[in-house]
Amino acid sequence: MKREGSETVLELDGIYKRFGDRPVLRGIDLTVKAGEVVVLIGASGSGKTSLLRCINLLNIPDQGRITIAGEPIFDVEEGGRDRLKLTPRQVNRIRAKTGMVFQQFNLFPHMTALGNVIEGPVIVQGIDRATAEKRGSELLDQMGLADHRHKHPAQLSGGQQQRVAIARALAMNPAVMLFDEPTSALDPELVGEVLKAMLALARSGMTMVVVTHELGFAFEIADRVVFLDEGVVVADGAPKDVLLKPEHPRLKAFVGRFHETADMLRPFLEAAQR
Amino acid sequence: MTFDFSVITQNAPLLWQGFLISVYYTVITIVAGMIIGLCVGLAQLTPYRVLRWLGRIYVEFFRNIPLLVILLWTYYALPIFMGLNITKGWAGFVALSCYVGAFYAEILRAGVQSIDPGQTDAATAIGMSYSQRMRRIILPQAFRRMVPPLAGQSIIQMKNTTLLSIITVPDLLYQASYISSFTYRPMEIYTAIGIIYVVVLTPLTLLARRLEKRGGLSL
Ligand SMILES: Nc1ncnc2c1ncn2[C@@H]1O[C@H](COP(=O)(O)OP(=O)(O)O)[C@@H](O)[C@H]1O
Ligand SMILES: [Mg+2]
Repeated sequence: MKREGSETVLELDGIYKRFGDRPVLRGIDLTVKAGEVVVLIGASGSGKTSLLRCINLLNIPDQGRITIAGEPIFDVEEGGRDRLKLTPRQVNRIRAKTGMVFQQFNLFPHMTALGNVIEGPVIVQGIDRATAEKRGSELLDQMGLADHRHKHPAQLSGGQQQRVAIARALAMNPAVMLFDEPTSALDPELVGEVLKAMLALARSGMTMVVVTHELGFAFEIADRVVFLDEGVVVADGAPKDVLLKPEHPRLKAFVGRFHETADMLRPFLEAAQR
Repeated sequence: MTFDFSVITQNAPLLWQGFLISVYYTVITIVAGMIIGLCVGLAQLTPYRVLRWLGRIYVEFFRNIPLLVILLWTYYALPIFMGLNITKGWAGFVALSCYVGAFYAEILRAGVQSIDPGQTDAATAIGMSYSQRMRRIILPQAFRRMVPPLAGQSIIQMKNTTLLSIITVPDLLYQASYISSFTYRPMEIYTAIGIIYVVVLTPLTLLARRLEKRGGLSL
Protein backbone atom coordinates (compact mmCIF):
# COMPACT_ATOMS: atom_id res chain seq x y z
CA MET A 1 0.00 0.00 0.00
CA LYS A 2 2.92 2.29 0.61
CA ARG A 3 4.25 4.06 -2.43
CA GLU A 4 7.97 4.62 -2.07
CA GLY A 5 9.08 8.22 -2.11
CA SER A 6 5.55 9.55 -2.04
CA GLU A 7 4.74 12.80 -0.32
CA THR A 8 4.22 13.27 3.38
CA VAL A 9 0.57 13.63 4.35
CA LEU A 10 0.94 13.95 8.07
CA GLU A 11 3.84 15.17 10.09
CA LEU A 12 3.98 15.44 13.87
CA ASP A 13 7.02 16.88 15.48
CA GLY A 14 7.70 16.94 19.22
CA ILE A 15 4.09 16.82 20.42
CA TYR A 16 3.64 17.35 24.14
CA LYS A 17 0.32 17.24 25.92
CA ARG A 18 -0.60 17.25 29.58
CA PHE A 19 -3.97 17.05 31.30
CA GLY A 20 -3.62 19.07 34.49
CA ASP A 21 -0.20 18.09 35.80
CA ARG A 22 -0.33 14.66 34.20
CA PRO A 23 1.84 14.39 31.08
CA VAL A 24 0.05 12.24 28.49
CA LEU A 25 2.16 12.78 25.36
CA ARG A 26 5.86 13.37 25.83
CA GLY A 27 7.46 14.38 22.59
CA ILE A 28 5.81 12.40 19.82
CA ASP A 29 7.28 12.42 16.32
CA LEU A 30 5.30 10.72 13.59
CA THR A 31 5.40 10.93 9.82
CA VAL A 32 2.80 9.35 7.58
CA LYS A 33 3.24 9.19 3.83
CA ALA A 34 0.51 9.19 1.20
CA GLY A 35 -1.17 5.80 0.98
CA GLU A 36 0.48 4.54 4.11
CA VAL A 37 -1.44 2.76 6.87
CA VAL A 38 -0.04 3.29 10.33
CA VAL A 39 -1.47 1.27 13.20
CA LEU A 40 -1.08 2.71 16.65
CA ILE A 41 -1.04 0.22 19.52
CA GLY A 42 -0.43 0.53 23.22
CA ALA A 43 -1.90 -0.24 26.62
CA SER A 44 -5.03 1.52 27.78
CA GLY A 45 -4.09 5.00 29.00
CA SER A 46 -0.87 5.14 27.00
CA GLY A 47 -2.13 8.20 25.10
CA LYS A 48 -3.38 6.74 21.78
CA THR A 49 -6.68 8.61 21.80
CA SER A 50 -5.02 11.80 22.95
CA LEU A 51 -2.51 11.59 20.13
CA LEU A 52 -5.18 11.01 17.50
CA ARG A 53 -7.24 13.90 18.85
CA CYS A 54 -4.21 16.16 18.80
CA ILE A 55 -3.79 15.58 15.07
CA ASN A 56 -7.03 17.43 14.24
CA LEU A 57 -6.80 19.64 17.30
CA LEU A 58 -9.78 18.16 19.11
CA ASN A 59 -7.16 18.23 21.85
CA ILE A 60 -4.81 21.18 21.73
CA PRO A 61 -1.24 20.05 22.37
CA ASP A 62 0.91 22.15 24.66
CA GLN A 63 3.84 22.16 22.31
CA GLY A 64 5.05 20.81 18.99
CA ARG A 65 4.34 21.04 15.28
CA ILE A 66 1.64 19.44 13.15
CA THR A 67 1.42 19.62 9.37
CA ILE A 68 -1.47 18.12 7.42
CA ALA A 69 -1.17 17.68 3.65
CA GLY A 70 1.54 20.28 3.53
CA GLU A 71 -0.30 22.85 5.61
CA PRO A 72 0.87 23.64 9.12
CA ILE A 73 -2.09 23.57 11.53
CA PHE A 74 -0.17 23.76 14.79
CA ASP A 75 3.18 25.20 15.72
CA VAL A 76 3.78 26.12 19.33
CA GLU A 77 7.28 26.35 20.69
CA GLU A 78 8.47 25.50 24.18
CA GLY A 79 7.09 28.15 26.50
CA GLY A 80 3.82 28.33 24.58
CA ARG A 81 4.43 30.92 21.87
CA ASP A 82 2.11 30.23 18.92
CA ARG A 83 4.01 30.75 15.68
CA LEU A 84 0.96 30.37 13.43
CA LYS A 85 -1.84 32.26 15.13
CA LEU A 86 -4.46 30.70 12.85
CA THR A 87 -8.05 31.87 13.05
CA PRO A 88 -10.69 29.28 14.02
CA ARG A 89 -11.82 29.41 10.40
CA GLN A 90 -8.37 28.43 9.12
CA VAL A 91 -8.10 25.66 11.70
CA ASN A 92 -11.50 24.28 10.63
CA ARG A 93 -10.47 24.31 7.00
CA ILE A 94 -7.25 22.39 7.65
CA ARG A 95 -8.72 19.95 10.17
CA ALA A 96 -11.35 19.01 7.59
CA LYS A 97 -8.49 17.41 5.64
CA THR A 98 -8.57 14.69 8.27
CA GLY A 99 -11.50 12.35 8.66
CA MET A 100 -12.09 10.91 12.08
CA VAL A 101 -13.92 7.76 13.13
CA PHE A 102 -14.71 7.44 16.82
CA GLN A 103 -15.01 4.47 19.13
CA GLN A 104 -18.61 5.46 19.95
CA PHE A 105 -19.55 6.28 16.31
CA ASN A 106 -20.92 9.72 17.31
CA LEU A 107 -23.44 9.80 14.48
CA PHE A 108 -25.90 12.68 14.53
CA PRO A 109 -29.04 10.95 15.85
CA HIS A 110 -31.50 13.49 14.45
CA MET A 111 -30.36 12.89 10.86
CA THR A 112 -30.65 9.91 8.55
CA ALA A 113 -27.59 7.94 7.45
CA LEU A 114 -27.45 9.98 4.26
CA GLY A 115 -28.09 13.18 6.22
CA ASN A 116 -25.06 12.38 8.36
CA VAL A 117 -22.91 11.79 5.32
CA ILE A 118 -23.87 14.98 3.42
CA GLU A 119 -23.81 17.28 6.46
CA GLY A 120 -20.14 18.18 6.05
CA PRO A 121 -20.16 18.62 2.27
CA VAL A 122 -23.34 20.75 2.31
CA ILE A 123 -22.80 22.84 5.43
CA VAL A 124 -19.01 23.10 5.59
CA GLN A 125 -17.97 22.84 1.95
CA GLY A 126 -21.08 24.51 0.51
CA ILE A 127 -21.62 21.79 -2.10
CA ASP A 128 -25.16 21.74 -3.50
CA ARG A 129 -27.47 19.20 -1.96
CA ALA A 130 -28.14 17.09 -5.04
CA THR A 131 -24.45 16.59 -5.79
CA ALA A 132 -23.71 15.82 -2.16
CA GLU A 133 -26.55 13.29 -2.00
CA LYS A 134 -25.35 11.54 -5.12
CA ARG A 135 -21.84 11.21 -3.81
CA GLY A 136 -23.09 10.39 -0.31
CA SER A 137 -25.22 7.55 -1.69
CA GLU A 138 -22.20 6.18 -3.54
CA LEU A 139 -20.18 6.20 -0.34
CA LEU A 140 -22.96 4.43 1.57
CA ASP A 141 -23.18 1.86 -1.24
CA GLN A 142 -19.44 1.35 -0.96
CA MET A 143 -19.91 0.68 2.75
CA GLY A 144 -22.61 -1.87 1.93
CA LEU A 145 -25.39 0.34 3.25
CA ALA A 146 -27.38 1.02 0.10
CA ASP A 147 -30.63 -0.07 1.75
CA HIS A 148 -30.09 2.00 4.88
CA ARG A 149 -29.71 5.51 3.48
CA HIS A 150 -32.91 6.85 4.95
CA LYS A 151 -32.70 5.18 8.33
CA HIS A 152 -31.77 7.01 11.49
CA PRO A 153 -28.80 5.81 13.55
CA ALA A 154 -31.11 4.35 16.21
CA GLN A 155 -32.47 1.96 13.57
CA LEU A 156 -29.01 0.68 12.64
CA SER A 157 -26.75 -1.91 14.27
CA GLY A 158 -23.45 -0.79 15.74
CA GLY A 159 -21.54 -2.15 12.76
CA GLN A 160 -23.80 -0.31 10.36
CA GLN A 161 -23.52 2.89 12.37
CA GLN A 162 -19.76 2.71 12.33
CA ARG A 163 -19.76 2.24 8.55
CA VAL A 164 -22.00 5.29 8.21
CA ALA A 165 -19.46 7.14 10.34
CA ILE A 166 -16.69 6.06 7.97
CA ALA A 167 -18.74 7.25 4.99
CA ARG A 168 -19.39 10.57 6.75
CA ALA A 169 -15.66 11.10 7.23
CA LEU A 170 -14.87 10.05 3.65
CA ALA A 171 -17.44 12.48 2.27
CA MET A 172 -15.10 15.36 3.10
CA ASN A 173 -12.41 13.87 0.83
CA PRO A 174 -9.85 13.80 3.61
CA ALA A 175 -6.14 13.43 2.97
CA VAL A 176 -5.88 11.09 5.94
CA MET A 177 -8.36 9.03 7.95
CA LEU A 178 -8.01 8.70 11.71
CA PHE A 179 -9.63 5.71 13.42
CA ASP A 180 -9.86 5.49 17.20
CA GLU A 181 -10.63 1.89 18.19
CA PRO A 182 -13.45 1.73 15.66
CA THR A 183 -14.53 -1.77 16.67
CA SER A 184 -14.09 -1.65 20.45
CA ALA A 185 -17.72 -0.70 21.12
CA LEU A 186 -19.11 -3.39 18.80
CA ASP A 187 -20.59 -6.76 19.57
CA PRO A 188 -18.05 -9.39 18.44
CA GLU A 189 -20.16 -10.58 15.52
CA LEU A 190 -20.22 -7.05 14.07
CA VAL A 191 -16.49 -6.40 14.23
CA GLY A 192 -15.72 -8.19 10.97
CA GLU A 193 -17.87 -6.03 8.70
CA VAL A 194 -16.19 -2.85 9.93
CA LEU A 195 -12.69 -4.29 9.64
CA LYS A 196 -13.49 -5.45 6.12
CA ALA A 197 -14.63 -1.97 5.12
CA MET A 198 -11.42 -0.52 6.54
CA LEU A 199 -9.32 -3.08 4.73
CA ALA A 200 -10.98 -2.20 1.44
CA LEU A 201 -10.36 1.46 2.14
CA ALA A 202 -6.69 0.81 2.82
CA ARG A 203 -6.37 -1.21 -0.38
CA SER A 204 -7.90 1.68 -2.32
CA GLY A 205 -4.88 3.74 -1.30
CA MET A 206 -6.31 5.83 1.55
CA THR A 207 -3.80 7.16 4.05
CA MET A 208 -4.81 5.95 7.49
CA VAL A 209 -3.84 6.13 11.13
CA VAL A 210 -5.61 3.38 13.06
CA VAL A 211 -5.76 2.78 16.79
CA THR A 212 -6.81 -0.81 17.41
CA HIS A 213 -6.45 -3.70 19.79
CA GLU A 214 -7.14 -6.19 16.99
CA LEU A 215 -3.52 -7.20 16.48
CA GLY A 216 -4.33 -9.74 13.78
CA PHE A 217 -6.05 -6.99 11.84
CA ALA A 218 -3.12 -4.68 12.52
CA PHE A 219 -0.77 -7.25 11.05
CA GLU A 220 -2.96 -7.53 7.98
CA ILE A 221 -3.56 -3.86 7.27
CA ALA A 222 -0.51 -2.01 8.55
CA ASP A 223 2.47 -0.76 6.62
CA ARG A 224 3.87 0.37 9.94
CA VAL A 225 3.02 -0.36 13.54
CA VAL A 226 3.75 2.24 16.20
CA PHE A 227 3.79 1.25 19.86
CA LEU A 228 3.01 3.97 22.33
CA ASP A 229 3.99 3.60 25.98
CA GLU A 230 3.20 6.29 28.55
CA GLY A 231 3.13 8.99 25.92
CA VAL A 232 6.34 7.96 24.15
CA VAL A 233 6.82 6.09 20.88
CA VAL A 234 8.99 3.11 21.84
CA ALA A 235 8.67 1.12 18.63
CA ASP A 236 7.95 2.12 15.06
CA GLY A 237 8.45 -0.33 12.24
CA ALA A 238 7.12 -3.00 9.92
CA PRO A 239 4.33 -5.14 11.42
CA LYS A 240 6.42 -8.29 11.34
CA ASP A 241 9.24 -6.61 13.31
CA VAL A 242 7.05 -4.87 15.87
CA LEU A 243 4.47 -7.61 16.36
CA LEU A 244 6.51 -10.78 15.84
CA LYS A 245 9.97 -9.75 17.06
CA PRO A 246 9.29 -7.21 19.80
CA GLU A 247 12.43 -5.96 21.52
CA HIS A 248 11.35 -3.32 23.99
CA PRO A 249 10.28 -5.11 27.23
CA ARG A 250 6.97 -3.21 27.48
CA LEU A 251 6.16 -4.03 23.87
CA LYS A 252 7.12 -7.65 24.45
CA ALA A 253 4.73 -7.86 27.39
CA PHE A 254 1.96 -6.15 25.43
CA VAL A 255 2.30 -8.34 22.35
CA GLY A 256 2.91 -11.39 24.53
CA ARG A 257 -0.54 -11.09 26.08
CA PHE A 258 -1.98 -11.20 22.59
CA HIS A 259 0.05 -14.24 21.62
CA GLU A 260 -1.02 -15.93 24.84
CA THR A 261 -4.70 -15.62 23.99
CA ALA A 262 -3.90 -16.81 20.49
CA ASP A 263 -2.07 -19.80 21.98
CA MET A 264 -4.97 -20.52 24.29
CA LEU A 265 -7.24 -20.67 21.28
CA ARG A 266 -4.93 -22.92 19.25
CA PRO A 267 -6.04 -26.31 20.70
CA PHE A 268 -9.66 -25.37 20.06
CA LEU A 269 -8.94 -24.28 16.51
CA GLU A 270 -7.01 -27.47 15.84
CA ALA A 271 -9.77 -29.55 17.37
CA ALA A 272 -12.27 -27.79 15.18
CA GLN A 273 -10.20 -28.55 12.09
CA ARG A 274 -9.96 -32.21 12.85
CA MET B 1 -72.63 30.87 55.29
CA THR B 2 -74.15 30.01 51.95
CA PHE B 3 -72.48 30.12 48.59
CA ASP B 4 -74.05 32.40 46.04
CA PHE B 5 -72.41 31.88 42.70
CA SER B 6 -74.67 34.36 40.97
CA VAL B 7 -71.95 36.98 41.56
CA ILE B 8 -69.82 35.01 39.14
CA THR B 9 -72.35 34.92 36.34
CA GLN B 10 -73.27 38.54 36.91
CA ASN B 11 -69.64 39.63 36.63
CA ALA B 12 -68.59 37.16 33.97
CA PRO B 13 -67.62 39.89 31.48
CA LEU B 14 -65.14 41.39 33.97
CA LEU B 15 -63.69 37.96 34.71
CA TRP B 16 -63.42 37.21 31.01
CA GLN B 17 -61.58 40.48 30.47
CA GLY B 18 -59.24 39.63 33.32
CA PHE B 19 -58.71 36.15 31.93
CA LEU B 20 -57.77 37.55 28.52
CA ILE B 21 -55.31 39.96 30.14
CA SER B 22 -53.74 37.06 32.06
CA VAL B 23 -53.42 34.97 28.91
CA TYR B 24 -52.07 37.98 27.02
CA TYR B 25 -49.29 38.62 29.55
CA THR B 26 -48.55 34.92 29.80
CA VAL B 27 -48.04 34.66 26.06
CA ILE B 28 -46.05 37.82 25.46
CA THR B 29 -43.78 37.30 28.46
CA ILE B 30 -43.15 33.70 27.43
CA VAL B 31 -42.19 34.82 23.93
CA ALA B 32 -39.96 37.63 25.18
CA GLY B 33 -38.59 35.35 27.90
CA MET B 34 -37.63 32.73 25.32
CA ILE B 35 -35.71 35.29 23.31
CA ILE B 36 -33.95 36.48 26.47
CA GLY B 37 -33.37 32.88 27.54
CA LEU B 38 -31.85 31.99 24.17
CA CYS B 39 -29.44 34.93 24.30
CA VAL B 40 -28.50 34.52 27.96
CA GLY B 41 -28.30 30.73 27.68
CA LEU B 42 -26.03 30.90 24.63
CA ALA B 43 -23.94 33.57 26.35
CA GLN B 44 -23.34 31.12 29.18
CA LEU B 45 -22.18 28.50 26.70
CA THR B 46 -19.73 30.56 24.65
CA PRO B 47 -16.00 30.16 24.95
CA TYR B 48 -15.80 33.88 25.87
CA ARG B 49 -15.35 34.26 29.60
CA VAL B 50 -16.83 37.77 29.83
CA LEU B 51 -20.03 36.70 28.10
CA ARG B 52 -20.24 33.61 30.27
CA TRP B 53 -19.97 35.73 33.40
CA LEU B 54 -22.56 38.21 32.20
CA GLY B 55 -24.95 35.35 31.49
CA ARG B 56 -24.25 33.80 34.87
CA ILE B 57 -24.81 37.09 36.70
CA TYR B 58 -28.08 37.67 34.86
CA VAL B 59 -29.38 34.22 35.77
CA GLU B 60 -28.37 34.36 39.42
CA PHE B 61 -29.75 37.90 39.75
CA PHE B 62 -33.21 37.08 38.48
CA ARG B 63 -33.42 33.63 40.01
CA ASN B 64 -32.55 34.74 43.49
CA ILE B 65 -34.72 37.82 43.87
CA PRO B 66 -38.41 37.17 44.52
CA LEU B 67 -40.50 37.95 41.48
CA LEU B 68 -42.69 40.28 43.52
CA VAL B 69 -39.66 42.35 44.49
CA ILE B 70 -38.53 42.52 40.85
CA LEU B 71 -42.00 43.56 39.80
CA LEU B 72 -42.35 46.29 42.41
CA TRP B 73 -38.84 47.51 41.80
CA THR B 74 -39.42 47.72 38.05
CA TYR B 75 -42.65 49.61 38.59
CA TYR B 76 -41.59 52.04 41.32
CA ALA B 77 -37.80 52.30 41.23
CA LEU B 78 -36.82 51.78 37.61
CA PRO B 79 -38.62 54.89 36.34
CA ILE B 80 -36.77 57.01 38.91
CA PHE B 81 -33.36 55.50 38.04
CA MET B 82 -33.91 55.75 34.32
CA GLY B 83 -35.73 59.05 34.47
CA LEU B 84 -38.48 57.73 32.24
CA ASN B 85 -42.13 57.15 32.56
CA ILE B 86 -43.03 53.51 32.35
CA THR B 87 -46.59 52.27 32.36
CA LYS B 88 -47.65 49.49 34.70
CA GLY B 89 -48.20 47.29 31.64
CA TRP B 90 -44.62 47.75 30.49
CA ALA B 91 -43.26 47.31 33.99
CA GLY B 92 -45.14 44.04 34.32
CA PHE B 93 -44.04 42.87 30.89
CA VAL B 94 -40.37 43.68 31.53
CA ALA B 95 -40.26 42.16 35.00
CA LEU B 96 -42.06 38.94 34.07
CA SER B 97 -40.08 38.48 30.83
CA CYS B 98 -36.69 39.07 32.46
CA TYR B 99 -37.61 36.74 35.30
CA VAL B 100 -38.77 33.81 33.19
CA GLY B 101 -35.90 34.47 30.75
CA ALA B 102 -33.46 33.53 33.51
CA PHE B 103 -35.19 30.18 34.00
CA TYR B 104 -35.38 29.50 30.27
CA ALA B 105 -31.67 30.30 30.01
CA GLU B 106 -30.93 27.67 32.62
CA ILE B 107 -33.09 25.14 30.81
CA LEU B 108 -31.21 25.86 27.59
CA ARG B 109 -27.83 25.58 29.27
CA ALA B 110 -28.75 22.29 30.93
CA GLY B 111 -30.22 20.99 27.66
CA VAL B 112 -27.10 21.80 25.67
CA GLN B 113 -24.78 20.43 28.32
CA SER B 114 -26.74 17.19 28.41
CA ILE B 115 -25.74 16.47 24.80
CA ASP B 116 -22.93 13.93 24.50
CA PRO B 117 -19.59 15.72 23.95
CA GLY B 118 -18.99 13.15 21.19
CA GLN B 119 -21.48 15.11 19.09
CA THR B 120 -19.33 18.21 19.33
CA ASP B 121 -16.25 16.11 18.53
CA ALA B 122 -17.86 14.63 15.43
CA ALA B 123 -19.14 17.99 14.21
CA THR B 124 -15.80 19.66 14.84
CA ALA B 125 -13.93 16.85 13.11
CA ILE B 126 -15.79 17.48 9.84
CA GLY B 127 -14.74 21.12 10.06
CA MET B 128 -17.87 22.75 11.44
CA SER B 129 -17.55 26.14 13.08
CA TYR B 130 -18.95 26.89 16.51
CA SER B 131 -22.14 28.41 15.13
CA GLN B 132 -22.62 25.61 12.58
CA ARG B 133 -22.24 23.06 15.36
CA MET B 134 -24.74 24.83 17.55
CA ARG B 135 -27.29 25.44 14.83
CA ARG B 136 -27.09 22.11 13.04
CA ILE B 137 -26.08 19.55 15.65
CA ILE B 138 -26.36 20.64 19.28
CA LEU B 139 -29.43 22.88 19.50
CA PRO B 140 -31.77 20.65 17.46
CA GLN B 141 -31.02 17.79 19.85
CA ALA B 142 -31.09 19.98 22.94
CA PHE B 143 -34.42 21.58 22.03
CA ARG B 144 -36.10 18.21 22.01
CA ARG B 145 -34.94 17.51 25.52
CA MET B 146 -35.89 21.01 26.60
CA VAL B 147 -39.57 20.76 25.68
CA PRO B 148 -40.76 19.22 28.97
CA PRO B 149 -38.97 21.66 31.29
CA LEU B 150 -39.93 24.58 29.05
CA ALA B 151 -43.57 23.53 29.25
CA GLY B 152 -43.31 23.25 33.02
CA GLN B 153 -41.74 26.66 33.40
CA SER B 154 -44.34 28.21 31.10
CA ILE B 155 -47.15 26.82 33.27
CA ILE B 156 -45.51 28.42 36.30
CA GLN B 157 -45.34 31.63 34.29
CA MET B 158 -49.11 31.73 33.86
CA LYS B 159 -49.52 31.43 37.60
CA ASN B 160 -46.90 34.12 38.16
CA THR B 161 -48.89 36.63 36.11
CA THR B 162 -51.26 36.88 39.10
CA LEU B 163 -48.61 39.08 40.72
CA LEU B 164 -49.45 41.71 38.10
CA SER B 165 -52.54 42.50 40.18
CA ILE B 166 -50.24 44.04 42.80
CA ILE B 167 -49.24 46.79 40.38
CA THR B 168 -52.92 47.11 39.32
CA VAL B 169 -52.66 45.49 35.92
CA PRO B 170 -56.25 44.26 35.49
CA ASP B 171 -55.53 40.53 35.20
CA LEU B 172 -57.85 37.79 36.38
CA LEU B 173 -56.82 38.06 40.03
CA TYR B 174 -57.11 41.85 39.96
CA GLN B 175 -60.64 41.61 38.60
CA ALA B 176 -61.46 39.11 41.30
CA SER B 177 -60.40 41.44 44.07
CA TYR B 178 -62.21 44.29 42.34
CA ILE B 179 -65.44 42.31 42.09
CA SER B 180 -65.22 41.16 45.67
CA SER B 181 -64.69 44.75 46.80
CA PHE B 182 -68.17 45.73 45.77
CA THR B 183 -70.03 42.41 46.04
CA TYR B 184 -68.49 41.34 49.39
CA ARG B 185 -68.36 37.78 48.06
CA PRO B 186 -64.64 36.89 48.20
CA MET B 187 -65.37 33.23 48.95
CA GLU B 188 -67.24 32.55 45.75
CA ILE B 189 -65.05 34.72 43.63
CA TYR B 190 -61.66 33.40 44.72
CA THR B 191 -63.00 29.86 44.54
CA ALA B 192 -64.04 30.54 40.96
CA ILE B 193 -60.62 32.01 40.14
CA GLY B 194 -58.92 28.95 41.56
CA ILE B 195 -61.15 26.69 39.49
CA ILE B 196 -60.40 28.67 36.33
CA TYR B 197 -56.65 28.20 36.81
CA VAL B 198 -57.09 24.52 37.57
CA VAL B 199 -59.25 24.00 34.48
CA VAL B 200 -56.83 25.84 32.19
CA LEU B 201 -53.54 24.55 33.57
CA THR B 202 -54.28 20.93 34.43
CA PRO B 203 -54.52 19.76 30.81
CA LEU B 204 -51.30 21.64 30.04
CA THR B 205 -49.59 20.04 33.03
CA LEU B 206 -50.70 16.62 31.89
CA LEU B 207 -49.39 17.33 28.42
CA ALA B 208 -46.06 18.47 29.86
CA ARG B 209 -45.86 15.31 31.93
CA ARG B 210 -46.55 13.16 28.90
CA LEU B 211 -43.79 14.95 26.98
CA GLU B 212 -41.48 14.33 29.90
CA LYS B 213 -42.24 10.62 29.88
CA ARG B 214 -41.51 10.45 26.20
CA GLY B 215 -38.25 12.29 26.77
CA GLY B 216 -39.27 15.27 24.69
CA LEU B 217 -40.70 15.62 21.23
CA SER B 218 -39.62 13.03 18.76
CA LEU B 219 -39.55 14.88 15.49
N1 LIG C 1 -9.93 15.08 28.76
C1 LIG C 1 -9.08 14.52 29.64
N2 LIG C 1 -8.88 15.09 30.83
C2 LIG C 1 -8.02 14.55 31.71
N3 LIG C 1 -7.30 13.45 31.49
C3 LIG C 1 -7.46 12.83 30.32
C4 LIG C 1 -8.36 13.33 29.32
N4 LIG C 1 -8.30 12.52 28.25
C5 LIG C 1 -7.42 11.56 28.56
N5 LIG C 1 -6.91 11.74 29.79
C6 LIG C 1 -5.90 10.89 30.44
O1 LIG C 1 -4.83 10.77 29.58
C7 LIG C 1 -4.28 9.46 29.61
C8 LIG C 1 -4.23 8.92 28.20
O2 LIG C 1 -5.55 8.73 27.76
P1 LIG C 1 -5.90 8.24 26.30
O3 LIG C 1 -5.23 9.11 25.33
O4 LIG C 1 -7.38 8.15 26.25
O5 LIG C 1 -5.26 6.80 26.29
P2 LIG C 1 -5.60 5.54 25.38
O6 LIG C 1 -6.45 6.00 24.25
O7 LIG C 1 -4.26 5.05 24.94
O8 LIG C 1 -6.28 4.57 26.27
C9 LIG C 1 -5.17 8.66 30.52
O9 LIG C 1 -4.52 8.55 31.77
C10 LIG C 1 -6.41 9.48 30.65
O10 LIG C 1 -6.97 9.32 31.92
MG1 LIG D 1 -8.38 5.40 23.68
